[in-house]
Amino acid sequence: MNKIESRCLLCSQPLKTTISWKAFLTKQFSPTICEKCSARFVPAQSTTALYQYNETMREYLHQLKFLQDVALAKVFRQELYTRFKKEKAIILPIPMHPIKQQERTFSHTEELLKAAYIPYIQLLEKTTTETQSSKNRDQRIHASPLFRLKAGAQVEYKDYLLFDDIKTTGTTLKHAIEVLMTAGAKNVQYFTLIDG
Amino acid sequence: MKYTGWILPPALRDFHEGRIWLKNHSPFLPIDIDKAITHQYFHILEGIQKNPFNKCNRCHNIDPELFTIFECASCQQPCIYCRHCIQMGRVSSCTQLILWTGPTAIKKRKHVLKWTGQFTELQQQAADETLASVKAKRSHLISAVCGAGKTELLFPTVHDALKRALRVCIATPRTDVVLELYPRFQQVFPKTVIHALYGGAPKQDGYAQLVLATTHQLYRFDQAFDVMIVDEADAFPYTFDETLQKAVEKAKKADAPIVFVTATPSLKLQQAFQHESTSFIPKRYHNHPLPVPQFDALWNYEKSFFRGKIPKKLKHWTEQRIVQKEPFLIFFPTVALMEKAALLFQSINKQILAVHAEDPERKEKVLKLRNKEIPGLLTTTILERGITIRNVQVAVVGAESPIFTANALIQIAGRVGRNKDFPDGDIRFFHHGITTKMDEARAKIIFYNKEGFSL
Ligand SMILES: [Zn+2]
Ligand SMILES: [Zn+2]
Ligand SMILES: [Zn+2]
Repeated sequence: MNKIESRCLLCSQPLKTTISWKAFLTKQFSPTICEKCSARFVPAQSTTALYQYNETMREYLHQLKFLQDVALAKVFRQELYTRFKKEKAIILPIPMHPIKQQERTFSHTEELLKAAYIPYIQLLEKTTTETQSSKNRDQRIHASPLFRLKAGAQVEYKDYLLFDDIKTTGTTLKHAIEVLMTAGAKNVQYFTLIDG
Repeated sequence: MKYTGWILPPALRDFHEGRIWLKNHSPFLPIDIDKAITHQYFHILEGIQKNPFNKCNRCHNIDPELFTIFECASCQQPCIYCRHCIQMGRVSSCTQLILWTGPTAIKKRKHVLKWTGQFTELQQQAADETLASVKAKRSHLISAVCGAGKTELLFPTVHDALKRALRVCIATPRTDVVLELYPRFQQVFPKTVIHALYGGAPKQDGYAQLVLATTHQLYRFDQAFDVMIVDEADAFPYTFDETLQKAVEKAKKADAPIVFVTATPSLKLQQAFQHESTSFIPKRYHNHPLPVPQFDALWNYEKSFFRGKIPKKLKHWTEQRIVQKEPFLIFFPTVALMEKAALLFQSINKQILAVHAEDPERKEKVLKLRNKEIPGLLTTTILERGITIRNVQVAVVGAESPIFTANALIQIAGRVGRNKDFPDGDIRFFHHGITTKMDEARAKIIFYNKEGFSL
């Protein structure tokens, strides 16, 4: 996953591949997208996300998740690494339902973390194959539990940090927090790539 | 083995013949696909071939940078996929491609050519030469100036091939050109099933003996066509490069001839053809010379726009067009500059619009100009070819910018004077310093006129 891209992963324009000593010494990742593409992503207003949702982000998610272009998981590795490198809490990516994951061939939340070399564990599993976006607001809020603990999972009296690609209504995160708190977690926070 | 109770759905055959398709993306029921496979009606290929190096079996990409390896949750092992053709559905190591080898579709021999136009002498000669080449399975280059009536030239060749029950493809790099050609061919060949294929095209039924497609769509065909016509062979984003060459070669049968049609042939193309397989038309169908571009200095135009002012000469040019009720196109080198300028132009006339490649209303805006609902349109190079607007006048702002190659400038100039009632018009290159490309474009146009009128 650490190969140096010579072309932008989004627009295929050649990338300037001069690696500075600073980048080398501070263990920065080499860029995977050009400056032009990078400028189209807008930083989030909140402290619990990196970016705002916009047209560029919609296209990005479409290509990553729908077209299954898992290479794009690398696009935000530097920013994610910077955010998580000093994180003390245990990081838990929001899981996909196993059937869904097999269909997509990968879990995008896990791939985003893997690309940034962020250690994580899985304690939860998804109980339903339905997606949140296929439901209306009311159905989302009153849905039966979306997650349960994985068999043999040990939730300790510790800090946990949930990670998801996007937060829209917050229902997904709310469900996951509930399961973890009930199982004895000390505190559960969340962070997402995108603020929906 | 007995295969009772299953009859091959003709629609399945009609769709899959000549196509190389992701097995799990077929528009037909999985059960029918599986039955067809047990009948050995399909040849199955692995998505990515590993030896001697990674190769995508759909688009034939072999660039190592365009393959990504990942832990696949579907095949439970490291899996490789092709990023080159990913927009058409991902091809990976664990996906299968299917290629039709079953009974072939019924090809009609009765095709009607409904066209009453008259060829000029030069057109007739080129049409005859092309037909002779294709009949002899020889590739052919048609080099004809903008407005020479290149599409019509193809009618006799296409008609002849269809009558011989051959399958014909007309490929072009641009969706706009496919959209422009489709209704014309439907009109001219009313008894022929024609499909128009481009990104986002609707599903079309039946077996198309004539396919109009963007070159990108050719990746989805494999040894399908008996005659391959490549229109606008030089157009951005493909100069006749390896990608296009591969796609064209792959989509046609090995011995199928290729007809290249272009207004600005690259040297490489010109050199590739023998004299007997080349037709040259230096004159427009209406027998009037090509309008020659005028150079007009527009110093520091960029600064001027960013200070909120349209340069005087350009403003005057635009106002003149509006007063004389002549539709106009103004080309800009970048979207950013155009958008800046658009606001200023709208203070001259509110109805002036701007259009660029990603504009979803691109088609509608061009139509508005054609229907005289708006006085003029600002555009990036996307409208440099393929569009025809009666009596259109054209200006290029920043003709010295690198994006305006000599070919692009020739194409842009070629928008002017195409109609026989308005064979002339203004083509103005506004610049901040004359470049060799501008000189080259002008010199070539003057050369064509000389050639055309010495005959
Ligand atoms: Zn880019
Ligand atoms: Zn491919
Ligand atoms: Zn796989």
